[in-house]
Amino acid sequence: MAIGDYAFLIPLLPALAFVLTFFLGKKLPNGGAIIPIVAIATSFVISLLITLGLLQNPEQVINQSVSWFAMLNLGILVDPLAAVMLTMVSFVSLLIHIYSTGYMSHDRAQYRYFAETSLFTASMLSLIISDNILQLFISWELVGLCSYLLIGFWYQKPAAASAAKKAFLTTRIGDVMFLAGIVVLFADLFRLYNGAIPDGIFILKFDEIFSQIPQLAAMSTPVLGFQVNHLTLITLLFFGGAVGKSGQFPLHVWLPDAMEGPTTVSALIHAATMVTAGVYLVARTFPMFIAAPDSLMVVAYLGAFTAIFAATMGIVMNDLKRVLAYSTISQLGYMMLGLGVGAAIGAEAVGISIFHLINHAFFKALLFLCAGSVIHAVGTHDMRQLGGVAKVMPITAATMIIAALALAGIGIPGTSIGFSGFISKDAIIEAAYLFGENGGGWFPYVLSIAAALLTSIYIFRLIFMTFFGKPRTAYGGHESPASMTIPLSILALFALAFGALTTERFNKFVSETFVNNFVHMDIPGLAELGGYHLAAHAGHEPLIILWLPVIVGVAGLLIAYLVYGMRIVNMDKLVSRNNPVYKLLYNRYYQNAILTNFLSIKVVYEGLAFAGRAVDRGFDWIVDWIGNISLDAGDALRQFQTGVVQNYAMIVITGVSLLVILIAVVREVL
Amino acid sequence: MIPVELYIGLAAVIFAIGLFGFMTQRNGVRMLMCVELMLNSANINLVAFSSYHGNLTGQVFTLYVIALAAAEAAIGFAILMSIFRMKDMIDLDKINVLRW
Repeated sequence: MAIGDYAFLIPLLPALAFVLTFFLGKKLPNGGAIIPIVAIATSFVISLLITLGLLQNPEQVINQSVSWFAMLNLGILVDPLAAVMLTMVSFVSLLIHIYSTGYMSHDRAQYRYFAETSLFTASMLSLIISDNILQLFISWELVGLCSYLLIGFWYQKPAAASAAKKAFLTTRIGDVMFLAGIVVLFADLFRLYNGAIPDGIFILKFDEIFSQIPQLAAMSTPVLGFQVNHLTLITLLFFGGAVGKSGQFPLHVWLPDAMEGPTTVSALIHAATMVTAGVYLVARTFPMFIAAPDSLMVVAYLGAFTAIFAATMGIVMNDLKRVLAYSTISQLGYMMLGLGVGAAIGAEAVGISIFHLINHAFFKALLFLCAGSVIHAVGTHDMRQLGGVAKVMPITAATMIIAALALAGIGIPGTSIGFSGFISKDAIIEAAYLFGENGGGWFPYVLSIAAALLTSIYIFRLIFMTFFGKPRTAYGGHESPASMTIPLSILALFALAFGALTTERFNKFVSETFVNNFVHMDIPGLAELGGYHLAAHAGHEPLIILWLPVIVGVAGLLIAYLVYGMRIVNMDKLVSRNNPVYKLLYNRYYQNAILTNFLSIKVVYEGLAFAGRAVDRGFDWIVDWIGNISLDAGDALRQFQTGVVQNYAMIVITGVSLLVILIAVVREVL
Repeated sequence: MIPVELYIGLAAVIFAIGLFGFMTQRNGVRMLMCVELMLNSANINLVAFSSYHGNLTGQVFTLYVIALAAAEAAIGFAILMSIFRMKDMIDLDKINVLRW
């Protein structure tokens, strides 16, 4: 049997591990951590073998489907895009699980932790492996559920419980849009078949959807005087779902709060699962996006805006994990931008965006796990109380610096020498340049360069404040156990070298998902439908464009070093409530004030309260009225019930007598 | 042979006595007895017509009525007995706890 026949086990094994761990974990040492670790390791091995097979022979796409009901199906699809994602998710998740055995060893509810992370991984793997949009949506919702459970893992803490609720509700806004997109898509496809769908055609399967793209793009409906293209509508609704899940502006607010969960959960959410689901969705349905007028523009602009918006907030945060949270939002913005610039570079966009996603997964998981290692040892995540941790925790410090260099994108342009983040981020920024050059506007490019500078500043601010200088408070601390440092080292290796080793091959491999494999999409043809002009090819930009991202990256490092390492500037003057810029950033653009105090309390709560009161009064009046009528009628009628038996007998006799008389009279008359 | 009119007249008299008693008395036992009188006046009618028409249906029917009346009287007296035990009287006008 070929390895592909076991592909269905990839999501199934962690799902089984969830059940086993949940019921047996309490009785096993370490909360039964061994069950999910073995299951996910097996999934990883299968995914890796499939990926290697696909690399040898890209035509061997695995696609197995069974009929579910009516015209819907359940199935798995492993093409290059899915294969690399599966491998990355199972690999990072495996390392996080191993790390967790050390990190969570003091927690009494370990079995619940491992069961839930296992289900989380299973949902994400099943999301990736879906061959139809409905199954993807089901897994999507499962991922949302698991994130709720895990963010609220320490549900005794009110902050954790409310963060979990916030994550669930915020992503739900996106989920509703995604579902609406599926409904519109389903209705349109149904109409294309005139309601008579032949047997054996599953209309929500990706290849089926993609084959109908030209017809879908031709449909439009007038709304308020505008002709709304159905494909644009569907893709924008899908993108709405991705905005919620991947923490893009304005639905990013749940992501920083998600830090209330255990740090390993943050790593899992921010690196391997959950947030990448949105990017994956857009990548998966990329042929639809490129054929839909304006959709990719929205993706590119919103991505670029999110990248800089989150980076500015990352600069002023004092909480180790919050800096990383804003960093994730910012990097997700880059990935969305990477997909959006597909308007200029076609299917290659999927390659560079997913490449950045994978590299980001490695270095962001590493950053979070390092932060977790520091928190585990020191017991605080306020950077103002740290400093000089490098002396106590050399391995953690070394790996974290590697991750920071990767995030900042340090490397030598024109070659493939550099940290993994450099290779992929550079590719995205260059693509953004091409996007501007081809008439897409310079806004995304400028923002992405500025965001690169800020990224470098905030991550090295974190490094200098945490690891160097003198300890600002007396903290204990020791290097973490091997179960934690080994995953750190492995991830560091990937953050260091993965990009450089695979870049060319990877991009080609993933980009060709839609060209050679699975479905034979004519991407340039589709781009014409969408009204996008694809550039000839990258690689002949001016030298300054190639070097600029690295220059700003190094500049950021130097600024952070001078300000936070050497302390040449007195930050106390800048960092104060009197500085309006600092105040704006530190209060996170007052989003909390706007969203929580105004939008949710004033508009939603008070609006609901007002409507509720009106409805309540209406119903009150009706219910009172019915009650009063009954009471009055009863009052009138009960006068008959004297309780004197003779009166009743009298009425009976009177009645009978009248009846007799009536009959007599009637007889006489007739 | 006694003419059938006399039977009917007797039944009417007994029914009137029963009705009068039922309407005027307040004592539960007396009222129940009056009900029995009315029932039995109807029985007399049934038997009289049965014999007049020469078929047995009316008499058979009467047997049923007697059996039912016995059962009804048994239940009625049982209820009256328990009322008496609780209240030491069986004046049905004063049994009004469930009245409005």
